[in-house]
Amino acid sequence: MLVGVKALKEIPRKVTSANLQSLAIALSAIVLLTIPLGAGPYPITVMVDMGFYTIITMGIILLMGFAGQISLGHAAFFGCGAYASGVLTTQYHLSPWLALFLAAIFTGGIATIIGRFMFRLRGLILAGVTLALNLVFFHLVSSLVGLTGGAMGMMNIPPLSLGGFTSQNLLFNYYLVWIIAILLLVFSLNLANSRAGRALRSMNVHAGGSEDAAQVLGIDIMKYKVWAFVLSAVYASIAGSIYAHYTRIIEPGTFFVPLSALVVIMAILGGMASPWGAFLGAGLIIGLRELLRESMPVLVGGVTGSYELIAYGIILVVALLFLPQGLISIVHKAVPKKRAIVNES
Amino acid sequence: MNFSVALQILISGLNLGCIYAALGLGFFVVYSVTRVFNLAQGEFVMLGGMLTASFYTMGIPLIPSILLAVIITALAGAGLYRFIMYPARKSSGVTKVFLTVGFALAIEGIALRVWGWEFRSLPAFFNSPSIQLWEATIFGQTPWVIGVTLLMVIGLFFFFGRTIQGKALRACADEPLGARMMGISIERMALFSFILAAGLGAVVGALITPLTMTSYSVGWPLTIKGVLAAFVGGITRAEGVILGGLVFGMIEAITAGLIPGGYHNAIAPGILILVLLFRRHGLLVTAGRE
Repeated sequence: MLVGVKALKEIPRKVTSANLQSLAIALSAIVLLTIPLGAGPYPITVMVDMGFYTIITMGIILLMGFAGQISLGHAAFFGCGAYASGVLTTQYHLSPWLALFLAAIFTGGIATIIGRFMFRLRGLILAGVTLALNLVFFHLVSSLVGLTGGAMGMMNIPPLSLGGFTSQNLLFNYYLVWIIAILLLVFSLNLANSRAGRALRSMNVHAGGSEDAAQVLGIDIMKYKVWAFVLSAVYASIAGSIYAHYTRIIEPGTFFVPLSALVVIMAILGGMASPWGAFLGAGLIIGLRELLRESMPVLVGGVTGSYELIAYGIILVVALLFLPQGLISIVHKAVPKKRAIVNES
Repeated sequence: MNFSVALQILISGLNLGCIYAALGLGFFVVYSVTRVFNLAQGEFVMLGGMLTASFYTMGIPLIPSILLAVIITALAGAGLYRFIMYPARKSSGVTKVFLTVGFALAIEGIALRVWGWEFRSLPAFFNSPSIQLWEATIFGQTPWVIGVTLLMVIGLFFFFGRTIQGKALRACADEPLGARMMGISIERMALFSFILAAGLGAVVGALITPLTMTSYSVGWPLTIKGVLAAFVGGITRAEGVILGGLVFGMIEAITAGLIPGGYHNAIAPGILILVLLFRRHGLLVTAGRE
């Protein structure tokens, strides 16, 4: 019987033991940093994509898995970062690094204002409002032709550069995206085991918490909800800025609901109990997407892109019905849990 | 502002309002019976439009084309309930929302596979000519949109208010346990609500195709507009949903008239979000009542 998104239910008190955690981070960092040495340009391109999705999905996991709030509009924040970076570099000729930084602050500011008002609502209406915000964002960037190039998109965004390398260099992008992903992972894991992380879990209805009970204990639930929302928006904005400087062309259609839904699917498939779920979810889905893109049009014909949409839908339904805690739950079962004593009382 | 401009805005607001009200009603039918937040409603509308357009271009007359489209879309609605929502009927509301999102994406993918990227269109129903009224132009399709929406509204009110079947549907939502004790099969009623919503959606899809064109990707904006209309008016009552749709349409027509350049597409839903933030139960429901 399915009672609740079980994905959200089994959030361990201490994600895994600290030693195992550091070991896993070190291992995946080494693997990720050495992969490009033996790989051609195609797998690296795919891995760069995977990195963008991993970063956004980590934000979604903070918001949904920890704070227990739904967002079906995070593509807007991804787009907000991308467009802010694009506008600041092409119209105001700022350095791309400064633009990335300012875009994150800008997106965070917008998310603060929106969150402050939006979290007056609860539950499903909230999901509807986040969807509607995505629609508003899409039409806004399509209409602001002078600033964003409108529906035609924005072109010639300058690349990020560091020490003679620019993000026109594929490997530079690869390392940039994944180093940021790993830094954000470490940050998320620390957050999960901090005072704020415990506060968030205590008010997460889906994880057995209660907003009312948390409030009685003196936790300012509004503050923490907005805070989780802003953090997740900033994650998406950072990914968006790097994406804009990497592809150098952005258009409004990219930042619409299908992308918002996709990162939620990655979070659900990967599992929302831990930020690691983002790596599993994004890795698996992008891997599958490439497989479908390569094989299906050859095997059965048809438009590229159609099969992956069908697959996303099927994966979401199957994951919710049969693996509601996501892939991370399998890992959690396999790994012997040496729980920290501090949080057990 | 002179009279003809005001009249033009009024007509286009009424036209848009009817569309949004009809979109909201499809959403409302499922919500009011099953409390499921069906985010695949826009895909039903897309399917209705795409199917009607393809049958029509095959040379089938308009009315049979629409009927075929409605039947196929209703089958899709039945499939959504039977194979996805029914197995998950004990899940939380959040899980159910995501299930409908999964279904919506799959339908979008199938539509892309079948019809490709191209936009499709239909001529105004029975090639109705545009009408000139005090220098305001009424597009030939507009009377059809308003008329059919009106028929749908009257039909739904009659059905929910006056027939045993309709009352049984309402009972399922208000008091599921009581309804079951009265011998009403909640599962069958839920199935019926999905079929009804899909069918209504398909009719709306056929209605709007001559005005807006259609492609595989139009579903999400339609879903979002329907959801906004339904919640702003008040999802608990059909009158609320219709009011929400009309308000939405009028706001959009007025902003489109005042501010050129496509901004109305962003401003109108933005205003509706603001309304929702300050009246979370909708315009029609008095504060404090769920």
